[in-house]
Amino acid sequence: MLQTLIKHPLSRTLFVFSLICTLITLLAILLAPLLVPIVISFALYAVLEPTSEIFERHGLSRNTSSLSVLLILVAIAALGVSLLLPQLSSQLVALQTQLPVVWQTITSLANDFSQHLVTSLGFDIDTIGLGEHFFSEANDWGKTALIEGSNLLINLSVVLMLVPIFTFFLIRDFRNFRNHLLDKLPNSSFEMGWLIYYRVAHQLQEYIRGIMIQSGIMSVITSLGFYIIGLDSPFLLGLIAGILNLIPYVGPLMAMVLPVLLALSHVPVDLWLVGAAIGVILVAQVIDNLFVIPSVIANAVNLHPLVVIVGIIIAGNLFGFIGMVLAIPVISTANIIYCGLYQGIKTRYDLSLQNTG
Amino acid sequence: MSAQHPLWQNLFRPREDRISEVTDMWMATPLFDKISTRECRDLVKTMHPRHYKAGETVFSSGDIGASIVLIRSGAIEIKAADKLLAELSAGDFFGEVALIVDEPRTADAITTEESELIFFLRSDLEEWVKRSPRSGAQFMLNIASVLAARLRHTNILLSLQNN
Repeated sequence: MLQTLIKHPLSRTLFVFSLICTLITLLAILLAPLLVPIVISFALYAVLEPTSEIFERHGLSRNTSSLSVLLILVAIAALGVSLLLPQLSSQLVALQTQLPVVWQTITSLANDFSQHLVTSLGFDIDTIGLGEHFFSEANDWGKTALIEGSNLLINLSVVLMLVPIFTFFLIRDFRNFRNHLLDKLPNSSFEMGWLIYYRVAHQLQEYIRGIMIQSGIMSVITSLGFYIIGLDSPFLLGLIAGILNLIPYVGPLMAMVLPVLLALSHVPVDLWLVGAAIGVILVAQVIDNLFVIPSVIANAVNLHPLVVIVGIIIAGNLFGFIGMVLAIPVISTANIIYCGLYQGIKTRYDLSLQNTG
Repeated sequence: MSAQHPLWQNLFRPREDRISEVTDMWMATPLFDKISTRECRDLVKTMHPRHYKAGETVFSSGDIGASIVLIRSGAIEIKAADKLLAELSAGDFFGEVALIVDEPRTADAITTEESELIFFLRSDLEEWVKRSPRSGAQFMLNIASVLAARLRHTNILLSLQNN
């Protein structure tokens, strides 16, 4: 009985799958300080590899084409930073000065609402106490954000230094390194291992490319929308909306918060602007769902929406923003590995049954 | 300091002598007709050599197939339902159907002596086709010719059996 259970393809698949998960988790723990630059470099590798292939097709060596791609990347990044940074930093300063106004407007709105409740229903809410509570929370949050912000700057400089180096070596050597690693598989599972790797790599590459294009399109649409409706800091808000769009389902909702708060900061409150800000995000979402997703990320991940939402919430709770962004590719990869292993192990099991029968 | 010093050389670089020999072997097959030796050589660098003991199964009928296999040394028996279909030796290739379609293997391949086999994976073929579309198209035509020839051969065998 126990022997049948051990030999069953499901238990074998679960054993191998758990082993792979444990190894990957250990590796992730070991590489934790470098995880962010590694993830960004892999994303850039997925996007830039085809360009390197084009250079190779035109007769350049792997070394030269990798270096050329890296130089183009650095040049584009430098150009982008020099063009966008002054604009974005001025918008960031404007946003910073507007935030106290936002809080004041929200408090006065809450007071008005409370008074309305008292006069119409005789129901009293301690808005002053609530407001103080919110402000003290916001103050604590601000202090933490300042400390985290300075840490983030240090981390950002490390990331900016490491990403180009990692990306260059990934473009140049990843294929050879991957071959060397996968060739270590035993003869019996060599082809199955390659097949699973290929499916995972193909799906991840499609997903990363798709989501980056989608994020860019969403940034452009929302920036233009916010600019047209006359909202302050349109390009910064558009950029944030594009980045938040990396998180499926939850991201667009999060992207609504800042534009709506900014629209609320206008005195007197301009309800048309609030509605228009929500409208811009909704229109962008409609365009995204109707045109961008079907053409850019269709079939890149084949997961149930409930799995996606639960996965994002759990990953966000455990690992924060980066966890939310990585939740989908990680779940999708685990899904392909499990299905590939099960298919391979089950085929072997059925064959052994046929041979013994 | 020499670039060939074992400490400094690229550990992942395939050995040159094996690359030349395997390139010559592939160039002698109909699969690389009208494809330059330089292209074939570049492709061989991405292939995967593997060693098998005598009597070891390379693949079984029903296994997931993902590659074509060239015999660099040794010998292979191809069987279906315990019936011997072919005996192959160094320079021969088998399993080409898996290079085109994502379907299970239709026969068993078992080594009859210690063998070194060179695997050319479908994923590597797809990457090569993207890099060199013209040569890739020629390779596809060549593989179609090989498959057509094998189909014709099987049809003749079947008609002979029926008669």
